[in-house]
Amino acid sequence: MTRLLRVELTRLRWRRAVLLLVALAVLIPTVIFGATVWNTRPVSAGDLERAQQLVEQETQSPGLQRELQRCVAHPRQYGLDPSQDARTVCEDMMLPRLEWFTQRPVLDLVSERENTGVAVAVVLTMLLLLIGTTFVGHDWNSGSMSNQLLFEPRRAKVWAAKAVVVLLTGVLVAGLVLIAYWTGLWWVAERRGLELADGAVSDAYRQAFRAALLAGFAGLGGYAVTMLFRSTVATLGVLFALAIAGPLLLTILGFPGHLRFMPQNNFAAVLLERTSMTDYSRPECVEIGPTMPESCVVRLTTRDGAGYFGGLLLLAGVPSLLSFRRRDVP
Amino acid sequence: MSDLVIETTGLRKEFQTRRGRRLAVQGLDLAVPAGGVHGFLGPNGSGKTTTIRMLLGLARATAGSMRLFGQPVPAMLPSVVDRVGAVVESPKFSPNLTGRQNLLLLARSIGVPATRVDASVETVGLTGRDGDRFKSYSLGMKQRLAIAATLLKDPELLILDEPTNGLDPAGIREIRDTIRDLGANGVTVLLSSHILAEVEQVCTSATIIGNGRLLASGRVADLIGAGTTYRLVVPEPDAAKGVLADAGFTVTADGTALTVDSKRPSTEITRALAGAGIWLSELTPVRADLETVFLELTADDTLGREGER
Repeated sequence: MTRLLRVELTRLRWRRAVLLLVALAVLIPTVIFGATVWNTRPVSAGDLERAQQLVEQETQSPGLQRELQRCVAHPRQYGLDPSQDARTVCEDMMLPRLEWFTQRPVLDLVSERENTGVAVAVVLTMLLLLIGTTFVGHDWNSGSMSNQLLFEPRRAKVWAAKAVVVLLTGVLVAGLVLIAYWTGLWWVAERRGLELADGAVSDAYRQAFRAALLAGFAGLGGYAVTMLFRSTVATLGVLFALAIAGPLLLTILGFPGHLRFMPQNNFAAVLLERTSMTDYSRPECVEIGPTMPESCVVRLTTRDGAGYFGGLLLLAGVPSLLSFRRRDVP
Repeated sequence: MSDLVIETTGLRKEFQTRRGRRLAVQGLDLAVPAGGVHGFLGPNGSGKTTTIRMLLGLARATAGSMRLFGQPVPAMLPSVVDRVGAVVESPKFSPNLTGRQNLLLLARSIGVPATRVDASVETVGLTGRDGDRFKSYSLGMKQRLAIAATLLKDPELLILDEPTNGLDPAGIREIRDTIRDLGANGVTVLLSSHILAEVEQVCTSATIIGNGRLLASGRVADLIGAGTTYRLVVPEPDAAKGVLADAGFTVTADGTALTVDSKRPSTEITRALAGAGIWLSELTPVRADLETVFLELTADDTLGREGER
């Protein structure tokens, strides 16, 4: 089995589409990382100077000055209390302030977990799913699967070797990228001297672990479906149906508890440990407020999400293995 | 222990199609002895490739039994697969990998060292081109790479399915020479082909199938019955006919010539006639070719049609 695993790993490494997808799996999170670091950068002396210039520029603009004069002359028209010093209140309301031009979010690992952390996990999951699909889709498309079986006819062993390689590669690639991502953000936060919330770093790594597993199993799922349908195109069709058409149909048909079966909700549940959403499809849940029944809120935990994806994996994996063992290979 | 390398009994394969079940192989009994090149002859769609695919575990038999080296397959295929090299239909490799990379993957899967890859590449004359991508190969090079892949195992049995399909005359000759060499070096080769001349030139024995059934099997020479019919031209055909009939030959008159059917050597004909003072003007062995035999055998079958029911 070790020999076969090494062969499949080599086959995976030598596949250009796989290399391209791995490169994207590194590149896209790197871009998201760069954007996050840039968008949360602290205000520098240069930024302050530029902001000050902008404030002065805006303040001196003839239009603003005209408006200010009008406000001072007729404060009531601007909704201001005429008993107060009109100039003070008008200037307070109309003149630009320094913070308007220097306001930026502060890097916060807790909020990043729910924002860019989820985005990176989604990107990695999609890309590794494609890796699982394209890896074996190519074997079917080129017909080289039959050639491989002429050298190793134990089909279950071949199926398992490919599956293990796809799963391990997925977990490893996603794991490394996510560890790098969170370590990078942690390092940036430390360098900026930001105070991190208790458990923020360990929570981020726990999320990275769960996201890596999700990505690895997504790759395995893509592989299993492609082994079943023997076509990358068919796999992509099935995944499209599962991700978009299926939930849409469930919603339109008003399937009870449809939120429970939405892939994105279960994904969030696994990644964030728990998630909740309101079922607006029910008439009694349309009015938001204290009268809305508790049953309108659907709560999902990691366990629910894991059960959902585990079930899907079994639905794809078992028929995939059985069919590969029994069906004729072209 | 049987000395048959390939043995099938009552082999049957049905395909489920939209129009119902299609019978590709119906009760085929195939026996390929060890050694030499054995032709597997039949028209397109006669079930040759399906039979080969079943032997190699790529397709499941609907009924019947199969043995390779005396071992039942597909159950024991893993224990004999290292002794079998095969090219089924067109060569199938990863198009974006080089020829060498494709061979290396296969070699590693059976624990064969990279030096064997070099040797195989050299044997089929691909040295220097093995670093090119498979998709850039000509059809002939692809066929040669497929044969190189079979040689990785150092096989005792080589199954080649239409290996000269699409090749130019030079490529065809090269492949045939390679097959002959392999056969001469002790490898048993099963050569599936619908090209009668190819089987006649390369094979020592052959099995002819039609419509998924066995039609004939044996040595090629026996199948075509070489040398069993002679055309004679004599000055006195009537007298000669009498003499030969008395000597136990089956003779028919054909105008001024005679046709003699016999498995006895032609020297007995000349001796009998000379003994009666009749001197031959001409004695020509009328050699039936495989095409004639094949067409006779498959006359009842519609070529290319597979049993439907």
